[in-house]
Amino acid sequence: MDERIIARLTELRQFAIEKGLVAEFFFHEEESALMRFANSAISLNTSEHLVRLEITAHEDNRRASFSLITNLDALEDMKDGVLQAGEILKHTQPLSYTPTIPVYQKTVIEEAAFDSDLAGISNAEKLDYFNQAVAGLESDQIKLGGIFSSGRNVIAAMNTNSEHALAFVSSDAQITIVLSHKTLKWDVIAEQSAQKKTDLDPASLQRQLAYLLGHYQNAPAEQLPLGQYDIVFGPAAIAELVNTMNWIGFSGGMMKRGFSFLREEDLGAQVLGRQFSLMDDPTRIETFPFSVDLMGAERKPFPLFEQGVFKAFAWDQDSADEFGAQPTGHDVMHKSLVVCAGDKPINSLEALVNAPREKDVLYIPYIHYMNFVNPSQGLITGSSRFGALLLKQDGRVVVPYNVRLTQSLKDIFSEKIAWISDGQVAYNVSASYGARNPTALIVPNLVYVQGLEISHANSSY
Amino acid sequence: MQKQIKAQIDRLVSSGAIYADARWYPVEEEDYLSMWNGNLKSASAARESGIGVRVLYKGAWGFSASSDVNNLASIFDKAYENARTAAERVTFPVRLAEKDAIQAHFSSPNQIDPFDVTYGEKVAFLKHMDDLLNQPGVFQRVASLNFMRKQIIYIDSEGSEIEKNIIEVFPSIAVMGVDEDGGSHERTFRPPRLGETRGWETIDKELFTRESERIVRELNQVLKAEPCPKDDRSVILLPGIMFLQTHETIGHPLELDRILGYELAFAGGSFVTLEDFGSLRYGSEKLTARADATAVNSPGSFGYDDDGVPAQDNLLIDKGILVGAITGRQMVEEANATARKQIFRGSSGANRATSFYRVPIERMTNINIDPGNDGTLEDIIKHTEKGIVLDGDKSWSIGSNREQFHFATEIGWLVEDGQVTHVVKNATYKGDTLKFYNALSAVGDESTWELKYVDNCGKGQPNQIMQLGHGIPVCRFDDVRIGE
Repeated sequence: MDERIIARLTELRQFAIEKGLVAEFFFHEEESALMRFANSAISLNTSEHLVRLEITAHEDNRRASFSLITNLDALEDMKDGVLQAGEILKHTQPLSYTPTIPVYQKTVIEEAAFDSDLAGISNAEKLDYFNQAVAGLESDQIKLGGIFSSGRNVIAAMNTNSEHALAFVSSDAQITIVLSHKTLKWDVIAEQSAQKKTDLDPASLQRQLAYLLGHYQNAPAEQLPLGQYDIVFGPAAIAELVNTMNWIGFSGGMMKRGFSFLREEDLGAQVLGRQFSLMDDPTRIETFPFSVDLMGAERKPFPLFEQGVFKAFAWDQDSADEFGAQPTGHDVMHKSLVVCAGDKPINSLEALVNAPREKDVLYIPYIHYMNFVNPSQGLITGSSRFGALLLKQDGRVVVPYNVRLTQSLKDIFSEKIAWISDGQVAYNVSASYGARNPTALIVPNLVYVQGLEISHANSSY
Repeated sequence: MQKQIKAQIDRLVSSGAIYADARWYPVEEEDYLSMWNGNLKSASAARESGIGVRVLYKGAWGFSASSDVNNLASIFDKAYENARTAAERVTFPVRLAEKDAIQAHFSSPNQIDPFDVTYGEKVAFLKHMDDLLNQPGVFQRVASLNFMRKQIIYIDSEGSEIEKNIIEVFPSIAVMGVDEDGGSHERTFRPPRLGETRGWETIDKELFTRESERIVRELNQVLKAEPCPKDDRSVILLPGIMFLQTHETIGHPLELDRILGYELAFAGGSFVTLEDFGSLRYGSEKLTARADATAVNSPGSFGYDDDGVPAQDNLLIDKGILVGAITGRQMVEEANATARKQIFRGSSGANRATSFYRVPIERMTNINIDPGNDGTLEDIIKHTEKGIVLDGDKSWSIGSNREQFHFATEIGWLVEDGQVTHVVKNATYKGDTLKFYNALSAVGDESTWELKYVDNCGKGQPNQIMQLGHGIPVCRFDDVRIGE
């Protein structure tokens, strides 16, 4: 890690103390690159180098913040930011609680999730990856799209309470490859999350795409009748569904504000199905984890659901301060969510297609544009996309036009779960808006849920 | 600085680049204040500066950005290197539609710069709102203020140099309550754009006072209401939800980059094809929609886009027939060439980037629906046999080609035989886009038309959040499924 970062924060800390300010500093540096493909061409190739600094000033139970995008050499700019935060502070109103400012007991520099080879991957290597992943699959009608997003990320924190600092350095890549039919407008997808360069495996994506393409080019397509279906969700769908629980599930603050389908009385209760276990596990390096949170608390595996029993709310410090709860080490830019594997030795679409079945099964790999219809009921809605298949009882495979699922999370992850794959995969859910924040969940390859309602079915692609 | 930028642009062009431009942001500022149940949870300000450089080489784009402008040459070189790599995989070489070289200056009209208003005054406004919202039935209350100020210097290799100074003001209030079943409900108010300016003066305290009373009253009605029935009815969409319907199912599907497949790997495509322009019956004859970037008081108006093309007012849908799209210089050339005919005559001036470190893409300006001849809201209700009036965006989910949708609203009022009967909670509606707009049976007059703002439209990879507007009348659609 660039030693100048800690040195700069130390200078700012000293400056704040000299000005009589109690202040926290949050530093973020990213070197991001994104190669974007569309219509079988590189439609965009970007590089960004951004340095962000957020200064939060406190006085008793008042606080204010000032953030800037700047560069590491711009000390005067940063000092001005400290003064600006102090100026805003004068006009704020007292909070009904006193925010806790951590006292770091030691300096922590965490670089386990950094791989210089991945961080420094070249344009040529990224292009070569794409060329390998779609080798032999493009045509006049089948067009390539997708992204190779990669970068180096540095997060550091310090405050006026102690001279110690926290710093986290990571490298990451998120690869999405989409093959779409130019006129019919269907699309199939294969994705990969990488924390180190050796994670990259274009051949695996090529196999997945070739398999899906075979079905989409050859199987009949049809509009599904509305009604109940047994649905097998792929990793993207599972990750998106579970990730919504960050917002409308196990967040203590959101629960207190009425935006959660979980209540305090649910603690210790059988809320979800017995096959469903979920934890926040910062030991899983594929999730770009934080070994300590930004309050300096050591993070350990934190069970959220064990065999469907709700174990705990996650409390960030500010919510805990406001609502009188104990913080749980969740002042992090993202959690390390892990959905536990099951015992079904079916771990790929191909294995699922080839497995015997007693009834029609709808495979939904991806849920497009999911939104919360009613957070307090856990009700979500979204459409299938990117390679759904209807596996007929008689062994035939049909391509369904996209369908809409409007369902409660409590229903999806209930006793309706018939089985869960015994293998897992890291699924990257990084958002590319704002500060780079590589995020991945570990999820089972497949989850089979019985009797979910399809509320809308398209009549064409 | 401008001289140095021009020198770098000249250097790249003389070394083989077809085109280059730079957007230098000397300063972009943002204030965000949010009071939640009396607690000033956020009192924050932000400042950023930097430069974004776009280079076209052998028909391919490269882009680079940095907050460190001390070494301009390296930023330009990186953009050029990225373009050279992109040029190794080109299927349709990028061409840019003709435009004039422009030297210009644009400032959004403001009477009072919100950054000249003291934090004390801003906090006092929030406190006043918080006091008004602190009423029986209200479990959570939020008042927030968001201000933006951007200075953008645009320079390109075709001789354009444009300076833009834009100020935006986004205030809102919201209340949330919990019904006897534990279900949460909310009502929000984001003011329509009134008057000819867009500064601090647009925050009308009397209007906010009236509206705070209304949203608390309506929240309490929702908390006691019965659930929305599952039914097929006429839906009467007030501007508070019709703006989002327009945004998602007229605005996004008519972005030309989506139509051409440039968003297929992420946001999705469009059910619209190039063959549809001039012939597709998008909606009933009552539907006329336009992209109007000339409305003075909206965040969808910016003088010149980030291709350096002047703002325009263009028809998108004319009496139900699709006639136009939301376009930038690159996409119109590709669309015309692909269709082998001239569908678009030049860029419509809608290529915008959210910040210096993002690349311009087709973005909505003010996607408006013209007022109709079906009278006031009361007139429309009076002529509705079995319907529901809907308002407030609670959730929205749209198919990947924008072909179908599902919306949940904050409140619904059932209509029977021309009369509003009662409020319902958990109101939703869904439909297929073309079928829905072809069932447009009434469009309200000028009295129902409101200019709403959107401050959080997301699109693109890397993702960009954009500000824009929608001028919308009350609209009625027949035979729509509700309550699912």
